Amino acid sequence: MKKTVLIARANMRRAKGQTAAITVLILVAAAMLNLWLMLSMDYRQNFDRCHDRLNAEHVTLVLNGEADGLTDFVAETLDADARTDQYTMEDCISMVGSLFCNGGEINSEFVILNRHTAENRRIGKVEITEDSEYTSGVYLPILYRSDSSLTVGSEVDITIGSHTGRYTVCGFLNSAMLGSHNCYMCTLIFTDDKYEELEKIGCAPKSTLVSVRIRNLSENEDYEAALKNAVSSQFPQIRTVSNSYSLVSSSRYISQMICSGIVSAMAFFVALIALVVIASNVINYVQENMKNLGALMAAGYRSRQIIAVLLLQFWGIAGIAAVAGIALSYGLFPPINAMMIAQTGIPYTPHFLPVPSVLTLLLIVGSVALAVLLSARRIRRIEPILALRQGVQTHSFRRNHVPLENTRAPLNLALALKTTLSGIRQNVIVCTTMLVLSLVVVFSGLMVENVIVNMDPFINLIVGETADSCINVSIADEERFLETTAADCRVKKAYLYNSIEVRHVGAVALTATLSDDFTEVNNPNVCIEGRFPKYDNEIAVAAKYAGEHNIQIGDEITMTADGNEADYLVCGFTQISNNLGRDCLLTREGYLRMGELSSVSYYISLTEGTDIDAFNEELCSRLDTNASINIHSAVEASAAVYVTLMTIIVAAILILSVLIITFVLYLLVRTMLTGKKRDYGILKAIGFTTGQLILQTAASFMPAVILSTAAGLVINSLIINPLTALFLNGIGIVRCTFTVPVGFIAAAGAGLAALAFGIACLLSLRIRRIAPRTLLSEE
Amino acid sequence: MKKAILKAESLSKSFSSGGALQHVLKNIDLQLCPGDFTVIMGASGAGKSTLMYALSGMDTPTLGTITFGDTVISGLSQDALAVFRRRHCGFVFQQIYLIESMSVMDNVLTAGLLINRDKNALIARARKLFAAVDISEATQKKFPTQISGGEAQRVGIVRALINEPEVLFADEPTGALNSKTGLDVLNTLTAFHDQGQSVVMVTHDIRSARRGNRILYLKDGSVLGECRLGRYVHGDSNRHEKLNAFLSEMGW
Repeated sequence: MKKTVLIARANMRRAKGQTAAITVLILVAAAMLNLWLMLSMDYRQNFDRCHDRLNAEHVTLVLNGEADGLTDFVAETLDADARTDQYTMEDCISMVGSLFCNGGEINSEFVILNRHTAENRRIGKVEITEDSEYTSGVYLPILYRSDSSLTVGSEVDITIGSHTGRYTVCGFLNSAMLGSHNCYMCTLIFTDDKYEELEKIGCAPKSTLVSVRIRNLSENEDYEAALKNAVSSQFPQIRTVSNSYSLVSSSRYISQMICSGIVSAMAFFVALIALVVIASNVINYVQENMKNLGALMAAGYRSRQIIAVLLLQFWGIAGIAAVAGIALSYGLFPPINAMMIAQTGIPYTPHFLPVPSVLTLLLIVGSVALAVLLSARRIRRIEPILALRQGVQTHSFRRNHVPLENTRAPLNLALALKTTLSGIRQNVIVCTTMLVLSLVVVFSGLMVENVIVNMDPFINLIVGETADSCINVSIADEERFLETTAADCRVKKAYLYNSIEVRHVGAVALTATLSDDFTEVNNPNVCIEGRFPKYDNEIAVAAKYAGEHNIQIGDEITMTADGNEADYLVCGFTQISNNLGRDCLLTREGYLRMGELSSVSYYISLTEGTDIDAFNEELCSRLDTNASINIHSAVEASAAVYVTLMTIIVAAILILSVLIITFVLYLLVRTMLTGKKRDYGILKAIGFTTGQLILQTAASFMPAVILSTAAGLVINSLIINPLTALFLNGIGIVRCTFTVPVGFIAAAGAGLAALAFGIACLLSLRIRRIAPRTLLSEE
Repeated sequence: MKKAILKAESLSKSFSSGGALQHVLKNIDLQLCPGDFTVIMGASGAGKSTLMYALSGMDTPTLGTITFGDTVISGLSQDALAVFRRRHCGFVFQQIYLIESMSVMDNVLTAGLLINRDKNALIARARKLFAAVDISEATQKKFPTQISGGEAQRVGIVRALINEPEVLFADEPTGALNSKTGLDVLNTLTAFHDQGQSVVMVTHDIRSARRGNRILYLKDGSVLGECRLGRYVHGDSNRHEKLNAFLSEMGW
């Protein structure tokens, strides 16, 4: 064993550069693998831990307004349902409101609690994560801490209904079910004085917050739908807003899901490259050390022992690099965690996770062992005498590639092509690497074009429909609203786009979007198959939901709202990720077959240059309404987190790509220089200059680089949208229609090839050290 | 007297070995004339190969000047020396040094295409040289590992001559061959010398040395003596005796 260790150590010392490059590749792979495992195994569990710690509800229902017997009815309904475990009902103020964060307007149904109530909730306790000496003001969800201007002591304008007030930020809070505007409802805690002040102003109705824990978690969505349906049927005039455990846990972890998906793909690809490089290294080692291996076998070593040496050597490298990679992942985790918290809004304290670490180590060491064993099989066939005489041919030149007699290629190019065509292993490694990197380039191009530079495609995909302004008017004021907007030259178009909850009978609640005429919408891509509903008996449902429930176009489904049921013909499939694939489209007439509308929301497209906030304010004052949204601003605020996240991911994977290509080429060039040292000496002796040999070496990689990059770019450009849709499936995206930036990708591909050539040239500078005289005297 | 093609003045070469300086060539003055077949002889470690590689621009001297034609090559950069070698020198090595991944023809054309623009003329010259050294067309398509040592060395000679060098440098060209194939190689070199090719050959084999018309004997890095022989004629016993006497005098 001691001898085996000594030989393994000697091998590593002899190939320090290769050892270092393989170490770095494995280190990066292990770091990404561990990050992915941490994100996928523990990060999501953090929500459950937080949920349990705060004894949070599984279903939240806000009853917006007061009515005789309302709370009694709800209590009776909850008591009568065997699925109910425990529940509470608390007074609150609830209203659609907005605040400015991350340069945009955040709109949500704000559930405002006073501090005393919030902290003493038996179910759904609110945790103050950051407090201060300020005694009058507001506590915001920690999600908004991502905006550097929102700090303790700063002031924030919050609009609740018709009232806009300026409040001092007293601190930040954590709430499992009400801690993010992405979950239909978002809680704000007011100090007692500010809460009383708001009650006196009367800008928002007194509401009741119902928090329910159920016995069987898996029934949370059904329970929510049933409860809401029961209340709506009995009290149609009461506006209800609700969410459930499943919806909240999914929507708060969208970034984690995207980030984890990308990290896992990168980990897999880097590990694959590292394994291919290791396998190639072992094969080269056997070829280059045939005489030494023969000597060892002649001295009595068995092939099994020599393979054990290689195994030990690469296990040593892989083990150390994997442990370092795991350590590196813990170094990288805090900034990633900060990024994630900006989207999840749930604090997470990074800590050592033994299971992902052990899994990472086992995966790396196991796959390295497999690569070594498979590529070292040849050692078993070595016969000592033949090996000592270098009798085992390292090459079998069956074909004279690019015969100089016939080729029209210039000499240096022809010699480079000869090297290319006789180096199958080199080409396989180059092609694998470049195919992976071209996927990175295409993905980066897609994100730069559709998220970072112009976020409209991303917003269209995620948000669905966008316009400039959204105004909510009562049915009584609707005609006046339409007359006013028709007469306003700033208005390009105003169309009904109203969200309301309906329930698919026998299944879950869906968010229905109503319109009088869907041909008016700005984003026709919302409907990805079939068509928008035209008649009152038609419905378009989310493709993800349809897939989960085996609904086909042409099927008839029964919906219910306000206690009434109606049948609809499925005319199309949609994708809007706002509701994680739980939505549908109906015409207004179609909805009115089930329920009534007390107010409606209109989307308004304005002429270029119109001040949206001023327009909203003016229109609201003329119509005596207060519910308006600057959609541009709201969308930008929501999208800002994703844009930042994507920018960081793109930058990180591009840096990683440069590192990978450098290390892979380093290994290949070094192997080539070692293998062809004699040939370089001969070529120098007969008159080739160092420059010519460097160009030949670098150029020998280029056919594989160019062909695999080009093929990779074309193939990946074709599959990138379906692949992205696969990543985003969890948020309801089944078809991705991002623009593939052909120009950017072509330029990036050319850049990648040029980079590979440049790096290969730089690495080939070692040829300068090969002196023909030294070579000749050595032999 | 013919104008010297290659001139070395006060040529010295030292190597550092384990911190100690080894003076392999010491203050050598030498002139080579066109058409000469110069043989450098000496015991192992005398500096024969070092002298030849310094003269051919394969190596640089520590001190002194080497002038090839009108060009001082001793101060040239490595790349300039490479260009010089491809234009003016041909090399035949003891270990032959053909590139194994290339066919016989490609080994020759690789050197030829470095300076020849007219590919057809180059191929014609290669074929002519191959015919002269008795390398068949079928052999030209083979790889070096598929031919015999003698054939490989003759291919090496063709490669060395493809660019019509002013001087052909041969370092122990028969050292790795058996006596029959070695004789073939010597006959080939002699034949090209007879056609006017200047040759510088390092050897410690008397049979090979007999082919030269000028014998230099090196000892401890200095030229100890020089012997002029006439043009080689097969079966000339006087030539053999004269060379033997010279070598005896040199302490061979």
